Amino acid sequence: MGRFRKLGVAVVLAAIAGTTLAACGGDGGGGSEGSDAKVLKLWHYESDNSAMGIAWDKAIEIFKTEHPGVEVQFERKAFEQIQQNAGMILNSTEGPDIMEYNKGNATAGLLSSQGLLTDLTAETEKRGWDKKLSPSLQTTARYSDKGVMGDGNWYGIPNYGEYVMVYYNKDLFDKNGVAVPTTYDEFTKAMDTFVAKGITPLAEAGAEYPAGQLFYQLALAKADRSFVDNYQLYKNPVDFKADPLKAGAQAFADYVAKGYVAKDSASLKAEDMGTAFISGKVPMIVSGSWWYGRFKDEMKANWDSFLFPGNKLNAGSSGNLWVVPTSSKAKSLAYDFIDITMRPEIQALIGNNGGVPVAADASQITDPKNKKLIENFNTVSQQDGLAFYPDWPVPGYYDVLVSGFQSLINGSKTPDQVLDAIAKPYSDGVKEITGK
Amino acid sequence: MALTEIEPAKPRRKRRGGGAGYWLYLLPGAVLFILVIGAPLAGTLYLSLTKWSGVGDPTFIGFDNYTRLFQDEVFWTSFKNTLAMIVAMVVVPTLLGLLLAAVLFDVIARRFKPRTAAALRAAFYLPQVLPVVVAGIVWGWILRPDGAFNSLLDSIGLGALRHDWLGDPHTALPSVMAVMIWVQIGYPIVVFMAALQRVDPELYEAAEVDGANWWHRFRSITLAQIRPETFVVALTCTIAALKVFGPVFALTRGGPENATNVPSYFAYFTFFKKLQVGYGSAISTVLTLIIVVVAAVFIWLQYRSERQDREV
Repeated sequence: MGRFRKLGVAVVLAAIAGTTLAACGGDGGGGSEGSDAKVLKLWHYESDNSAMGIAWDKAIEIFKTEHPGVEVQFERKAFEQIQQNAGMILNSTEGPDIMEYNKGNATAGLLSSQGLLTDLTAETEKRGWDKKLSPSLQTTARYSDKGVMGDGNWYGIPNYGEYVMVYYNKDLFDKNGVAVPTTYDEFTKAMDTFVAKGITPLAEAGAEYPAGQLFYQLALAKADRSFVDNYQLYKNPVDFKADPLKAGAQAFADYVAKGYVAKDSASLKAEDMGTAFISGKVPMIVSGSWWYGRFKDEMKANWDSFLFPGNKLNAGSSGNLWVVPTSSKAKSLAYDFIDITMRPEIQALIGNNGGVPVAADASQITDPKNKKLIENFNTVSQQDGLAFYPDWPVPGYYDVLVSGFQSLINGSKTPDQVLDAIAKPYSDGVKEITGK
Repeated sequence: MALTEIEPAKPRRKRRGGGAGYWLYLLPGAVLFILVIGAPLAGTLYLSLTKWSGVGDPTFIGFDNYTRLFQDEVFWTSFKNTLAMIVAMVVVPTLLGLLLAAVLFDVIARRFKPRTAAALRAAFYLPQVLPVVVAGIVWGWILRPDGAFNSLLDSIGLGALRHDWLGDPHTALPSVMAVMIWVQIGYPIVVFMAALQRVDPELYEAAEVDGANWWHRFRSITLAQIRPETFVVALTCTIAALKVFGPVFALTRGGPENATNVPSYFAYFTFFKKLQVGYGSAISTVLTLIIVVVAAVFIWLQYRSERQDREV
């Protein structure tokens, strides 16, 4: 028995020693903290051939040149892996020193409110990152002590942006004698022309995000910034039975009734919608800038894009964030890395590979298509037009919206019933977060 | 002779140690059970009494999650859908499997070669070998609006029946059920055919000599002889149906409008998407409880049936 007791004591002592050491390693602190670290553990989830993947490979290269003697331990993670495990990882000592993480209340907001992310406010002001990001881009970087985005301290830095637009197949437009619309009326007339010729003008995907985003675009046509603040930042209660949401749901139902959207698209996924557009089966889709690079690579027909006609506000936001976990042992190095990703040459690399940089010098973007993508983004961003995404306000709202708009596509519920179905989970979720 | 030497030793050892020595052999299993099942179960039970987002400290709220659960419409819908899953994963495959196994064993293997029956058995079992998510994705392609099933309907002149099978709340659940029958059918066939092999062929021969037709033989010999296997199949398939997740995740994600939502998916969604770990734990706990009760009932029925057999 004595032997077992000795072993037990040894185990307990080892455990205490482990926690004490860990506690010494990672406390919050100033900008110079961890500047003498010899390792920078970096995680992100961009594929190596995506615009961000390419840009960040280059940023790592520059970082290594500027920090000789520091080893960069880079690990490519899966999006879902980080999404579902970040809380646990950052609560342990196994986390990285810097990590790409999703923006929003349920992700970066939640972790920041639990003290798992480093407050980057001082560093942001010192290095001027705040000057490079427009107010609507800053929204996703700053969180209150309850983890609600919009204002408060900086907990992440975005390097790129994204927004929803209309992609169109030029060849199909020409073949059917349809002019590129510049107003909302012209847009619906263009769709009427396609319908009259037996072509469904908009590919849709009821089983995933595209349907919710189309609804949101339609609602935003009648919205202003105060609606977005109320809906996304809970500044005031939102009435789902009033415009703009009412108008959005009604317009969506009309799109289905008029044949702008196929009645049998409820089970389709975003990928189905994208491939229908790539293969030239449909003339238009309403979706995000994340498709841009892929269409450039894979589409045989001529194509282009325009901002959703008539909308000042568009679904869109900053991209994901660089966050520095509280347990990081190389915070200073992490800030240096973020700083490199903000440099014009890295930003240009994002832009030249089909991404949307947040602080690029437009003259450095050589490809005309990429240039247009960035110019359109700058237009939206500068007019404070990024309205985020409809599923952001509360955790789990994505599936609520998917279910709601599947009902509209199937015609199994009226717009009024759908608004009821999506209103309750919203108010329950907001209550959960704000306690009001 | 060796047996007679060993046999008397047993009761002597039992008397001396009272069986206590055997507990040592149970220790590895018990430790594993506590680590792999007991501790997580206790953890889930505790979490089900809390409100927790997955990070930070859980807040103890007593039975609030359970009160909320029993008033939750989605929870009841998910259990209603489970009944449909039991039909698709237990009732139909067991009945159909019984019939197919008997036909393969008794008719195909006799009229053709046993190898033909074995090949057909393997063909039926194939869906069981496929990872369920892969099968789900492939079936998703088949059932989509421009998928193979609608094309097939077109080509045989039934184009009017074209449909968004997984997108319409009225057809989504029957479609998922059909896929599940396809996935499940091989399992009872293989078990029942193995069971049939241990049935004394003389029973069949004697029955045939007495003039029993196929149906009589199936009912009086096949069904009676393979009853223990039927219990095992029904129990394992019912548990699988109660906790079904993969196919629902791959095919419909519980939609449209919760038409195919099941308790496991509902728990997953609440855990990982809504970040309501406490509530998700309450769902899991109720599900576990139901599975334990169902398993206990089955085992008791099987035990009773075996006892009746012995008494006969």
